[in-house]
Amino acid sequence: MATLFDAHDVEIAWCPGCGNFGILQALKETLDELGYRPQDVVVVSGIGQAAKAPHYLRVNVFNGLHGRSIPVAFAIKAIRPELLVIAESGDGCMYGEGGNHLLHAIRRNPDITVLVHNNQVYGLTKGQASPTSGEGFRSKAQPWGNLSRPLNPLSLAISQGAGLVARAFAGDKEGLKGILKEALNFRGFALVDILQPCVTFNPVNTYAWYRERVYYLGEDHNPEDQIAAFQKSLEWGDRIPLGVFYRNPQPTYEMKVEGRAKKRRNLFEEEEFQRVLQEEFAQFL
Amino acid sequence: MVDVTLKVGGAAGQGVQTVSEVLSLILARHGYYVFSIEDYQSRIRGGHTFTLLRVAEQWVSGGKGALDILVCLDEATYHLHRGEVKEGGVILGKTGNEAPGEDVRLLPLDFEGVALRLGNRVFANMVATGAVLAILGIGLEEAREYVRETFARKGPEIVAKNEEALEEGTRLVEASGLSSSPFLGGHQNPSRVSRRYLISGNEALGLGALLAGCTFYSAYPMTPSTGILNFLASRAEAYGLIVEQAEDEIAAINMAIGASYAGARAMTGTSGGGFCLMCEGLGLAAMTETPIVVIDAQRPGPSTGLPTRTAQGDLLFVLHASHDEFPRFVFAPRDPQEALNTVIRAFNLAEKYQVPAIILSDQYLADTRWSYDRLSCEERPIRPSLSWDGASPYRRYALTPDGISPRLFPGGEALVVADSDEHDERGHLTEDLALRKAMQEKRMRKLEVMRKEMRLPFVLEGKDATLIGWGSTWGVLLEVRKALGQKGKSIGVVHFSDLYPLPEGLRDFLKRFPNPVVVEQNFSGQLATLLEQETLLPFPKRICRYDGLPFLVEELVEQVAEVL
Ligand SMILES: Cc1ncc(C[n+]2csc(CCOP(=O)(O)OP(=O)(O)O)c2C)c(N)n1
Ligand code: SF4
Ligand SMILES: [Mg+2]
Repeated sequence: MATLFDAHDVEIAWCPGCGNFGILQALKETLDELGYRPQDVVVVSGIGQAAKAPHYLRVNVFNGLHGRSIPVAFAIKAIRPELLVIAESGDGCMYGEGGNHLLHAIRRNPDITVLVHNNQVYGLTKGQASPTSGEGFRSKAQPWGNLSRPLNPLSLAISQGAGLVARAFAGDKEGLKGILKEALNFRGFALVDILQPCVTFNPVNTYAWYRERVYYLGEDHNPEDQIAAFQKSLEWGDRIPLGVFYRNPQPTYEMKVEGRAKKRRNLFEEEEFQRVLQEEFAQFL
Repeated sequence: MVDVTLKVGGAAGQGVQTVSEVLSLILARHGYYVFSIEDYQSRIRGGHTFTLLRVAEQWVSGGKGALDILVCLDEATYHLHRGEVKEGGVILGKTGNEAPGEDVRLLPLDFEGVALRLGNRVFANMVATGAVLAILGIGLEEAREYVRETFARKGPEIVAKNEEALEEGTRLVEASGLSSSPFLGGHQNPSRVSRRYLISGNEALGLGALLAGCTFYSAYPMTPSTGILNFLASRAEAYGLIVEQAEDEIAAINMAIGASYAGARAMTGTSGGGFCLMCEGLGLAAMTETPIVVIDAQRPGPSTGLPTRTAQGDLLFVLHASHDEFPRFVFAPRDPQEALNTVIRAFNLAEKYQVPAIILSDQYLADTRWSYDRLSCEERPIRPSLSWDGASPYRRYALTPDGISPRLFPGGEALVVADSDEHDERGHLTEDLALRKAMQEKRMRKLEVMRKEMRLPFVLEGKDATLIGWGSTWGVLLEVRKALGQKGKSIGVVHFSDLYPLPEGLRDFLKRFPNPVVVEQNFSGQLATLLEQETLLPFPKRICRYDGLPFLVEELVEQVAEVL
């Protein structure tokens, strides 16, 4: 389906069949259906295969450093609260190199949406284990099999009272769109971990592997219940739940500093500059 | 001419800085010029800390080592510093029993005991302040006013107690007879009606940012840069700034870049160790051509080094920081007055050329308080040059003759695409290597235009030798010139505040100065090395101090005399 957000004359550098395509399409359609205009959207990314996604969208783009999309997105939103700000990158970028920023963004609760293309592998650097790779995952860098346990980003975020915590699957566009809509409409920090098959480097977590396991959380799940959400987030294996696990509305960072924009002085005007100058100089007398 | 040096020493937590700050303020309000240097340790309680305070009738720009007055808030101060007191000097407070020399008077005073009698140990600072003012021969009117201003919120009882403490201190000195020939009395400053401005380097850097229109400051606390964070935080609500304590310096610089991309004037500040963490971000600012200002308040390294001491060891580092090559500005303001202008200039030039601008401060500049007849601000913030005709498709990184491409903020009609990868003119990542070459050339082209913005060093001529320095050593170089002048030597000063790109014509400019001696607070003489590299002139005479302490006048005079 054509959308306002389709980028033209860009060459997509992903492998045919990659789960990233499903995420890209779902995001474009979601933005379109929510009525956004490309100029009102900024997508910030890091580095990796997933992090190329913003280039394939018609939006404002800040494709920054590996691991560092969240601080950039936070600041853009703080300065321009009227823009829709999305941080989008891979599992290595968000949970590995940039893990610290995720923790602290949860605390700040800026109104941004973090989309993690979680392929449980480092795609761009050719297949090493990522923070979410299963124990025993073999690669050229871990020929003996991954010795570490995988990080559970959902449990982590829920335990810290993040604004909205969800999991989606790249192989189900409609389901993914539903979750993206909720996340983008949510006022506050939203984390969507998107299970994304990597057809080249992850022979374990394939489309088929996921399809056998994923199911959507039902009506009986209460996303306002942190303990229940945490419990659900621990479920991983034969059955993997999808959907909005947790929802914790709270004042956003931007709300807390809302009054400030009005107080900014126009220092480009000489008179105003002089006023501030004299006020300030008097403090040092 | 009155020129009195005093040192207030004690353990961390005893209020050394409070006493010296209050004294500085009161003396400046009395029309004296003051100059104060903080020396403290990386701890919150105990240990040893002191402030060196110089009070004079004429403007002063450096500290002296020989003391007229030593104020001992603890006994350790007495043992550590009594040897620095010169003839005719006074030691007061928790002194030992022996005077260090025949001409040094001892005045044992129990500030804390007096304070406890007044009801609380916290009044000890005001007892000491009152005592020192009496020795100097300064009346208590300004001090009382200060107490009323400062403690008003705490209620009339606290104000009264503090005033009593001041009086007690004064009375104790009067009882000893020591106030009969006060240090400043008899030389009453003729212009004492006019107050002097008093400002530290960190305050000036913060103020400069405020005046530059900075609306976003992100930083992770690190001595000696933290004062900038505190200053801007104190103004955030009044002026509508976003001041955010980041989770680390990597976040701090990335936040500043994000804010700048979004349309804010953004700055971050740190010390050397934090700057190390910012290096990749510095490259990001360069690659995305996002203007930012970064302050590096230097301290001795490598690694954690000496957290609370001073150094100028990061010059060659910041010049080259981050991988590959890109243009950047590097400034090192010489004093608080220049610092506030430098920050505005740094913001303007970063904006104009869409590059990072780095300001080198250090612990000495950061914490030193200077006094001035007046403060001035010649620089004005320039409006962002958002130049796009709206007709042709917008290209954020259009290849232009001077390398400067049209910058826009997101949220307007045109989409703004920025990328840390090598990119095409639209900002989209590319592996077209011919384009890569063109983009690198475009970015580097700016360097030659940027060079034209840079100012030649500050100059005072001298026939016997020329002291060359940069950044915070300016003031002490002036003092050394004056001191050696009094001994019949003609010493010149060439001082750099604009460090990179170095201004045009520097080789011919520098050639004319006789007997150059480069003075720096690092091991190898980094400015000398840079100048040799850029001008091919030799600078073999180098005076380098790297023990973490600032140059004081007398010592540097001796060192310069030795190499003459
Ligand atoms: C500072 C830094 N370290 C390492 C890299 C190399 N690198 C690029 S992408 C990547 C990992 C990518 O994994 P992920 O974030 O999961 O993205 P994917 O490619 O799987 O989508 C690494 C290690 C880099 N670009 N920058
Ligand atoms: S390497 Fe994996 S994640 Fe990257 S594009 Fe190919 S399939 Fe997708
Ligand atoms: Mg990955």
